[in-house]
Amino acid sequence: MIHSLYVPGASWLHRQPAVVKLGVLMAAGIMLFLLHHPLPLAIAAGLALVLLASARVPLARIWAQTRGLVVLIVALGGVLTLLQGWAATMMVLLRLCALMCLALAVTFTTRSADLIAACERALRPLERRGWANAAKVSLALALALRFMPEIYRRYELIREAQAARGLRAHPVRLIVPLVISVLKSADEIAEAIEARGFPPTRSQDPP
Amino acid sequence: MLVEFQDVCVHLHERPVLHDLTLRVSEARVGVIGSNGSGKSTLARLLNGLVRPSRGTVRVDGYDTVQQTREVRRRVGFVFQNPDHQIVLPIVSEDLAFGLKNQGVPRSEHASRVQQVLADMGIEHLAERSALGLSGGEKQLVALAAVLVMRPQLLVFDEPTTLLDLRNRNRLRAILERLEQPVWVVTHDLELLDGYDRVLVLEGGRIVCDAGPREAVQWYRSHCA
Repeated sequence: MIHSLYVPGASWLHRQPAVVKLGVLMAAGIMLFLLHHPLPLAIAAGLALVLLASARVPLARIWAQTRGLVVLIVALGGVLTLLQGWAATMMVLLRLCALMCLALAVTFTTRSADLIAACERALRPLERRGWANAAKVSLALALALRFMPEIYRRYELIREAQAARGLRAHPVRLIVPLVISVLKSADEIAEAIEARGFPPTRSQDPP
Repeated sequence: MLVEFQDVCVHLHERPVLHDLTLRVSEARVGVIGSNGSGKSTLARLLNGLVRPSRGTVRVDGYDTVQQTREVRRRVGFVFQNPDHQIVLPIVSEDLAFGLKNQGVPRSEHASRVQQVLADMGIEHLAERSALGLSGGEKQLVALAAVLVMRPQLLVFDEPTTLLDLRNRNRLRAILERLEQPVWVVTHDLELLDGYDRVLVLEGGRIVCDAGPREAVQWYRSHCA
């Protein structure tokens, strides 16, 4: 079963404004790359884990969302240990784990509409200078949140269909039909977005 | 709500899809039937400017679908065949609010309008559900709710029952009957057209029969089956 990222709840993290959570995530991400000793990184990873736990998201849900990443991190750890030794590997892994926990804490507790609204607000100054179109960038973020699990679902369907015909999994055999199917859908999704009045007219909300 | 097609031709990828269509429609319930590739969906898409005529004009309530697209889209809601492509945001209530935001409706009104339309359709329990976890029937109802929340004056459905099981088809049909707005339905589901005011039969990009539902369906069955 594929889930959306947001998990409804009433934890203290759920109640924080999206813009604050995104700001803290960004600042913490920068700080993590300024730390170069295992002990502070271990403390940071521990704090990030506590923060994630405070979101009160069921463990099964966290596991469903992270198992792919965990496999990737373990594989990366193996390669790095061979190339750079365990001390350097430990720092990279602690950093990644901390970042993953923080990012999950934000996405699990923030509705996508709030994430998008925060992103739009953050982009407004750039839009005023003509450097970005806030509505379009935010819509791209929304579509990524909405359709990434959908693309994974299609990948699974194609894999099952090929297995049913006796074909063994092969990246090219899977990716080509997946890309074609996604491109075909893209036209209709674009039409649907247009039909629902995008791009937006000026809001009657106060700025 | 008057819909007018004046000498409309549509070419898609240099292939003619609709030919010399001239039509005035003011009926409240309009069905469009025809074989695959006959131009039905293109005709429907002309109604809110998703497809532009290669020649001629389409006017909805007096507004030109090319020159005044935004005005037209405020009035014409479009429900697609595949709701998977229509639900844009991950959570149902967020998705319904997407159209309101595009219309410039103040954010403070979003929640009440979303709740209202979900309650009217009897699906308020889906408000906080993920779009990914919905059944096909639920998705189609959510897609319709996402259009109704924008309070369109005309509704266009492109094969709304194709992906539905019998129960959801009947449910959607009951909702369609209750709608106050004029409705255009493109469909292969001929029973859906019982009681409609006018049915257009398209073949090869031309209207080959324009009549009441009984006569039009009979014509379609005898000539195109």
